[in-house]
Amino acid sequence: MIGGLFLYNHKGEVLISRIYRDDIGRNACDAFRVNVIHARQHVRSPVTNIARTSFFHTKRGNIWLCAVTKQNVNAVMVFEFLMKMIDVMQSYFGKINEENIKNNFVLIYELLDEVLDFGYPQKTDTGILKTFITQQGIKTQTKEETTQITSQVTGQIGWRREGIKYRRNELFLDVLESVNLLMSPQGQVLSAHVAGRVVMKSFLSGMPECKFGMNDKLVLDKGNKTNDELSKNSGGKPSIAIDDCTFHQCVKLSKFESERSISFIPADGEFELMRYRTTKDISLPFRVIPLVRDIARSKMEVKVVLKSNFKPTLLAQKIEIRIPTPLNTSGVQVLCMKGKAKYKASENAIVWKMKRMAGMKESQISAEIELLPTAEKKKWSRPPISMNFEVPFAPSGLKVRYLKVFEPKLNYNDHDVIKWVRYIGKSGLYETRC
Amino acid sequence: MPTVSSRGDAMRGLAVFISDIRNCKSKEAESKRINKELANIRSKFKGDKTLDGYSKKKYVCKLLFIFLLGHDIDFGHMEAVNLLSSNKYTEKQIGYLFISVLVSSNSDLMKLIIQNIKNDISSPKPVHVNLALHCIANIGSVEMSEAFGQEVPKLLVSAHASASVKQSAALCLLRLIRTLPEAMTYAEWASRVIHLLNDQHMWLTAATSLIHTLSQLSPGDYKGCVSLAVSRLSRIVTSTYTDLQDYTYYFVPAPWLSVKLLRLLQCYPVPEEPAVRGRLVECLETILNKCQEPPKSKKVQHSNSKNAVLFEAINLIIHIDSEPNLLVRACNQLGQFLQHRETNLRYLALESMCLLAGSEFSADAVKKHRETVINALKTERDVSVRQRAVDLLYAMCDKTNSEEIVAEMLAYLKKADYAIREEMVLKVAILSEKYASDYTWYVDTILKLIRVAGDYVSEEVWHRVIQIVINRDDAQGYAAKTVFENLQAPACHENMVKVGGYILGEFGNLIAGDERSSPLVQFNLLHSKFHLCTPSTRALLLSTYIKFINLFPEIKPTIQNVLQNNNQLRNADVELQQRALEYSQLSSITSQDVLATVLEEMPPFPERESSILAKLKKKKPASVQVSLVGSPSLLLVSLTVQMSLIRAYFSLFYQPTSIGYHLALFSPTYPLMHKTPVLLMDAFDDVLTLPADLGESPSTESTEHANRPFMFKNSGVLFENALIQVGVKCEFKEQYGRVGLFFGNKTGNQLQNFAAAVSLGPEHQGKINVATQKEPPSQIDGGAQVQHFINLECISMFSGSPNLQLRYQHSSAPQQVTLKLPVIINKFMEGVDMNSGDFFSRWKQLGQPTQETQKIFQARHPIDTEAARTKLTGFGMCALTNVDPNPENLVGSGIIKTKTSQIGCLLRLEPNKQAKMYRLTVRSSVGEAAALICSMLEEHF
Repeated sequence: MIGGLFLYNHKGEVLISRIYRDDIGRNACDAFRVNVIHARQHVRSPVTNIARTSFFHTKRGNIWLCAVTKQNVNAVMVFEFLMKMIDVMQSYFGKINEENIKNNFVLIYELLDEVLDFGYPQKTDTGILKTFITQQGIKTQTKEETTQITSQVTGQIGWRREGIKYRRNELFLDVLESVNLLMSPQGQVLSAHVAGRVVMKSFLSGMPECKFGMNDKLVLDKGNKTNDELSKNSGGKPSIAIDDCTFHQCVKLSKFESERSISFIPADGEFELMRYRTTKDISLPFRVIPLVRDIARSKMEVKVVLKSNFKPTLLAQKIEIRIPTPLNTSGVQVLCMKGKAKYKASENAIVWKMKRMAGMKESQISAEIELLPTAEKKKWSRPPISMNFEVPFAPSGLKVRYLKVFEPKLNYNDHDVIKWVRYIGKSGLYETRC
Repeated sequence: MPTVSSRGDAMRGLAVFISDIRNCKSKEAESKRINKELANIRSKFKGDKTLDGYSKKKYVCKLLFIFLLGHDIDFGHMEAVNLLSSNKYTEKQIGYLFISVLVSSNSDLMKLIIQNIKNDISSPKPVHVNLALHCIANIGSVEMSEAFGQEVPKLLVSAHASASVKQSAALCLLRLIRTLPEAMTYAEWASRVIHLLNDQHMWLTAATSLIHTLSQLSPGDYKGCVSLAVSRLSRIVTSTYTDLQDYTYYFVPAPWLSVKLLRLLQCYPVPEEPAVRGRLVECLETILNKCQEPPKSKKVQHSNSKNAVLFEAINLIIHIDSEPNLLVRACNQLGQFLQHRETNLRYLALESMCLLAGSEFSADAVKKHRETVINALKTERDVSVRQRAVDLLYAMCDKTNSEEIVAEMLAYLKKADYAIREEMVLKVAILSEKYASDYTWYVDTILKLIRVAGDYVSEEVWHRVIQIVINRDDAQGYAAKTVFENLQAPACHENMVKVGGYILGEFGNLIAGDERSSPLVQFNLLHSKFHLCTPSTRALLLSTYIKFINLFPEIKPTIQNVLQNNNQLRNADVELQQRALEYSQLSSITSQDVLATVLEEMPPFPERESSILAKLKKKKPASVQVSLVGSPSLLLVSLTVQMSLIRAYFSLFYQPTSIGYHLALFSPTYPLMHKTPVLLMDAFDDVLTLPADLGESPSTESTEHANRPFMFKNSGVLFENALIQVGVKCEFKEQYGRVGLFFGNKTGNQLQNFAAAVSLGPEHQGKINVATQKEPPSQIDGGAQVQHFINLECISMFSGSPNLQLRYQHSSAPQQVTLKLPVIINKFMEGVDMNSGDFFSRWKQLGQPTQETQKIFQARHPIDTEAARTKLTGFGMCALTNVDPNPENLVGSGIIKTKTSQIGCLLRLEPNKQAKMYRLTVRSSVGEAAALICSMLEEHF
């Protein structure tokens, strides 16, 4: 039970304040401002307890979102709600910033009335919310429409309304992954994991039933047990081990439990079908090889070799490598063969950017850093070299095997649906120590 | 100071940078901007071309600004030091600023900086000298004191230094003296510094501060400043405000200097020379007079500065304390302030009056303001002012007005602020005791105090009441009556129950005659509070009950019922359990006479300084000037002694069940300071284990073997047969010993012709002195017990132990028993703790064959180092740890103290676990002692 929700700007001024339960006083928003936003020390914990009141906060750009409660609630639930709230607001008015919030003041209150009821989270699905909270002026709804909304919101399939019709039945499937890595200077993987999402955008008529299949190790193994012949054939196909996953509410969990098959009636438009995480057999798209040498007391040399490690036919994009420099750097000379490199004093780093890079290639940068002698001999902590990129495959190795669509009532079948699948691998925290 | 606004000094870059930072939207943007600027400055400082002074100054300035925003700056120090050698004032200024803010005192650059400062100090330009002086003062480190301790005074007294330089020098020197007083030599320039007071310029405010500090450090050298200060003061005071135009602040001439001069004068006693003294008195009078004049301005600054001078003058008057006229005038002046609407003034007036009340001349004048002060106490809004009012009331209280003041304070206590309640309670308690002419009034006051502010009544206070009541016969009856009445209130504070319990337990009989306070009513009243109290109070109440048994035998069954209730006997609190158990046994076993003796009325307490006062002193060291007598801690000791007597007596009949025997305290929260009870306690532990194996001894046999257990313990049953039981309890200290013997008649008939005498054999003649302290009676009634005390002194070393001849007639059959008294040489031994080195050096000193005795013998008991250690300690030696390299070996040391000599003994016991053998080596300065100890210990391992 969330007691209240506050939105602050970066100065700590309250933009939105909505209180759901009586146990939260008006001064709660001041308590959070004083103890967290204006705290002398940077508050790192997302949950703060002040005078037996819990404050759960997250920050988007310059905006602080904070949920308050006096009860012992599930913190994960509260954060999930806050994230959903951010999604909802983004889908309504785009980027979350002070100006947008001020401009959509009324809308936000309207949304807050709908998504939380006496502090209990309700519908947070954008598609549904948009059916009855619109940005356009209020139009008088016909009786039919109102009954439809009511039946849908209260009915079994709350995420899809009936009677949807498209001329072209089409669906898009995006597999979005972010790779996180920490590597030792010698190239040893210290930790690596992939956080992935399967996002679906469906334009399907009627109430279709879909079935989604991927190369999940468990499913494949199960299939193999029943059919020994197949196991030999599919032995060559790589399967992946998923550590954990969560599904959109439309997925029938009972079926997943019993048969490991993902079947669902999709929401209309864009939604996140599943989220997952893998830690084994990750194909790391890039390898960073650092070489740092102190030449003299006031000079050091940095050399970084970047190797791409994927199919030569694929192209990585938006590559950016950030090499931290010591705090007493007084001058930097950079030399790189490919892309552009620049010393950014304001960030204390050398930033090396490349538009694209093909697989199985190698590139190199070398820099000479001049240092200024300092009064106190503080050892430089050598923060890791981080990098950003985008690759057109899934580093976890996940493959979509099939997505079948059945619509028994209307006259189209699986073959008529146009399906698009796309894989995007992005870097999360991709760091190499130097 | 030159302004910084000329064109070349504007530092546009800095202004832009600062405005950039101010325009930053977020913290991240700010830190990005700063990082960028830092990188820029680094590259500039690194650059090969040398920077000109202006840009150096600009960048150092930026660094300073960044530092003040809270970022770390670890470069640029060198550039700042370079700036010092510039000739331009602004560049120098920024350099010095950076150095005083940023350079730590242990930096490598300090030598360079000091060199630069030295150059500047000797520069002809006064502004440069000033900058250098400010920097020295701002850094103010030990290093600075050492480097400039000699230089700065020279400037101060130099002929051609300008006034502003002298001012800076004075302040700088003040700082250096505070840092490192020993670095200065004061005497050589003392007279010249004193004469600074004669200076025309009024920068002397700084000089006065310096002289004030100096005269505190070495009063003798600066004595001469008194007359100068007085004349300076009189010049200021008598001047009209137009005379010292430049230094007049809101019509008050030189208020700061006046205040400082007045403070300086407080460092010294009143000047001796009549002229100076007269002038000083005149000054003070003038100051007091000026306050009577109508204010020249309505501005608050005018009155503030005027009053500042006045209060400092009053402080000086109090310090002089020999001018009655002035004191009274000051007091009257303060009296006016008491009703002033400025809260601060009222506070100050009360505070100063507190001091005035201490002076004999003005005490009466202060008392005139009693009404006003009491009024202040009641109506004042500020708690700190009320606190001062309480202090003042306390200070002005005497015999004549004590009743009124105490009554007012008690009345106020009800609504007093929590912060000052405890102190007020202490003050009321002290005043009421100090000025009590009538002890009924005192008892009333304290009981009222407990009623009004029970939580704040500390234990010292209620202990004190009990002491006074016990020591005053005339107050006892009244106290019992009042306490009884107070206890009848439906809800009364625990402290009240404690006082009530104690007083009724002692003097309940004095009011028992009345129907309304009959014994049973008293008991029921107390017992109704029992369950609401904490264990410490309950323990006290149990003691009260046992005293009731003695006072009122008629309610004995009721009380015994309560004592034997499972609530008490099986209480989780050990102390309560123990008390209930012992008291119920005591009440059922003993005769009325014994009860009466054990539970007799407490003896009066010796008079001592009141510990309430001590407590108040601890709270507020300054404000206590009263002294009182008596101590409640003593009360506890005497109680403890009584308690332990009960137990000592008692342990002979009955073996306590709880092994973890606690000290017999009246209240378990008190740490015990007396040695006797501790010794007694040892006795009880032994009682638990001892008697079983000593069961039946033949009637005329000597009990040689029975002495063995007593080698390690000081008490137990010495002898027992069908007719008689002999208990013993000994205490030893150095060469003195005291043996208490308890003879219990186990039969129903009387033992007649009872006699007990110590007989010394020839081997003990002249070695032990025996004196009987209390002869036993010649008859012992059936079931009764008598005591017999013997004092001993060990003259020289002896072996064996003296005999005790016991003769009595049982049913006309004479009986004779010879007992060995548990007086053995080791009782006079005291353990000595020493370390390994000491031990072995002494061990080697005692290396002659006559001084050593060694025995190898079969172990009689399983070899256990811990048990052996315990035995050794019981024997009287100190078992030393970490001395012998082999931890199995046991090492001990002790000194046998006799009247004629002290014999040191060292011991080593080496076990051989395989062979179950011991090797015991004893070395002693006297060979016989070694042999004796060896033979004594041999049979015990």
